[in-house]
Amino acid sequence: MKFSIFKVALRNLKRNAFRTAVLVFSIGLLVSILVFGSSFILSVGSSLERASARLGADILVVPVGAREYAEEMLLETKVKTFYMDKGLMDRVGQVEGVTEITYQTYLETIWGVCCDVPPAKVVAFDQDTDFIVRPWLKEALGRELKKGEAILGHTAYTDLDLLEVDSSVLFGAKFDIVGVLEETGTGLDNAIFITDANIDKIIEKGKSRLKPNQISLMFVKVKEGLDPYPIGAKIESEVVEVDVIQRSEMGESIIATLKDINRIFLITIVLASVLSMFLTWTIFTAIVNERAREVGIMRAIGAKGSHIVGMFMIEVFLLGFMGSVFGIALGNYLSLTLSEVFTLLRDMAATLTLVERIEVSLLGLAVGVGICVVGALSSIIRIKRLEPLTVLKEV
Amino acid sequence: MAQIELKDVSKVYTLGDTVINAVEDVSLGIEKGEFISIIGHSGSGKTSLLSIIGGILSPSSGRLLFGGTDIYALDETGLAAYRADSVGYIFQFASLLPVLTAKENLLLPTIFSSQRPSNSGKKAEEYLDMVGLKDKINAYPAQLSGGQQRRIAIARALMNDPEILLADEPTGDLDEETEADVMDFLKRINSEKGITFILVTHSSELARGATRRIRMTQGRIEEIGS
Repeated sequence: MKFSIFKVALRNLKRNAFRTAVLVFSIGLLVSILVFGSSFILSVGSSLERASARLGADILVVPVGAREYAEEMLLETKVKTFYMDKGLMDRVGQVEGVTEITYQTYLETIWGVCCDVPPAKVVAFDQDTDFIVRPWLKEALGRELKKGEAILGHTAYTDLDLLEVDSSVLFGAKFDIVGVLEETGTGLDNAIFITDANIDKIIEKGKSRLKPNQISLMFVKVKEGLDPYPIGAKIESEVVEVDVIQRSEMGESIIATLKDINRIFLITIVLASVLSMFLTWTIFTAIVNERAREVGIMRAIGAKGSHIVGMFMIEVFLLGFMGSVFGIALGNYLSLTLSEVFTLLRDMAATLTLVERIEVSLLGLAVGVGICVVGALSSIIRIKRLEPLTVLKEV
Repeated sequence: MAQIELKDVSKVYTLGDTVINAVEDVSLGIEKGEFISIIGHSGSGKTSLLSIIGGILSPSSGRLLFGGTDIYALDETGLAAYRADSVGYIFQFASLLPVLTAKENLLLPTIFSSQRPSNSGKKAEEYLDMVGLKDKINAYPAQLSGGQQRRIAIARALMNDPEILLADEPTGDLDEETEADVMDFLKRINSEKGITFILVTHSSELARGATRRIRMTQGRIEEIGS
């Protein structure tokens, strides 16, 4: 490497390896908290957003009192069954402003009793009216799902031990497993999808508590440009047997919890940042004082203020960078390995996309390096402003 | 026109209520290639005067002209360029950077120079050879004796081909034999390269080798001959 101010800075970092390690470790811890916390909040938030967007409906109509169950079913990995009369669809469809309506029926498998698979949710959808599953189906299968066929959600494929299985018995009937849907980040990723055409046979076998003409949930689209809120209110007032969930209100309780977690996390990060900044300031004040004579010598033999600032800044950047890389690795490792420990993450199957993970990591890098720079800046500027001989005499 | 001109230069330090006149109304002209020694007791202002000439201590009043340019009227970049390109400074204390090898210490001033030579590595090796330390090229200052460090500091001062060499007690902590070697080397540089050489010392014997001798007393100068 050609001799340069960069090489001098590198040598300075190696001079006191322990002190360098302490600073790198402390910045790393801060960044790991930031990456871990951000990953947690972002993954839950994104999962909610994705789930809401994926559903593609403006309003969800559920049996009275089943709002919570529906949210748990759609947003989390929980298995819930709730039913209402299919005839209610006609009444909901007649409400002014409703343009499209489809339904799904949810069933719960019981291993060894009705089915070959561990507890899982089975979603029966109406292929004629459906606008929820069909877009994914088209991508994964390229054709419609036939009677006696099942397609798996992305997580169900691995979680239900159906990796090498061609067919499986569900509610006493044999189903051919014809494919796997792409990951959606919603609670439907761990579901088994069948068409509504199979429902009669399932009821006939008597292996589920589903009765004829029962459905679980209606998905409603409203006329473009109309506000779904008054239409939802009208549905509730005209069809008293149902409750309405607006798409924008889905996961409200989770969002409220998330806001509290966000506040706690922010306070923790601010306190940890102040502590790290103070530590950097203390260490760099000591470093600058310790090297004051060397700085004076460098100034006396021709170094400009910018050379001195540049040398220290390279050291600061390298320290911040090393600490941040360590923190990003630790934070991501924690966020990946501890996701099963947190109920919220586990239930929602919340994960980050690669782009989101890169964004969080870049945020960690910026904060880690930024804190190092801010912490060290005052000491560096002080030494830069002193006259060479004054620095030499200060020692 | 003299190469260096000091015009009514004063340096005043204020320590609480006490005012110290380190340098008082000094006017002096120095021709190119001269070897000047400045002697005086501790606190007489020798180092302050040398530092002012070296561009590392701004005077409280007066002007330092180098080739007709008022050095302390220059901006920070101009002043740094003067220190890097025109002056070689030998300090009275160990002044090598401990994290750099002997060769790297020699290369250090070249990265501050506006005319960074492409062959600076070769030049550093030649200078190390010239001061008899070619075998110590990769040694760190802690692995060198005081005399060896001093010789490397002298070689470093010559790396950017300065027009003035300033030496502040360059043999202060050396034994007699090494002191003689170092002084012979500096005189040779002065005569062979025509570099103006200003030596600050408290030793009358060392000062005697100069072409002009100046004594400082309480910040004022008096020429005592050549």
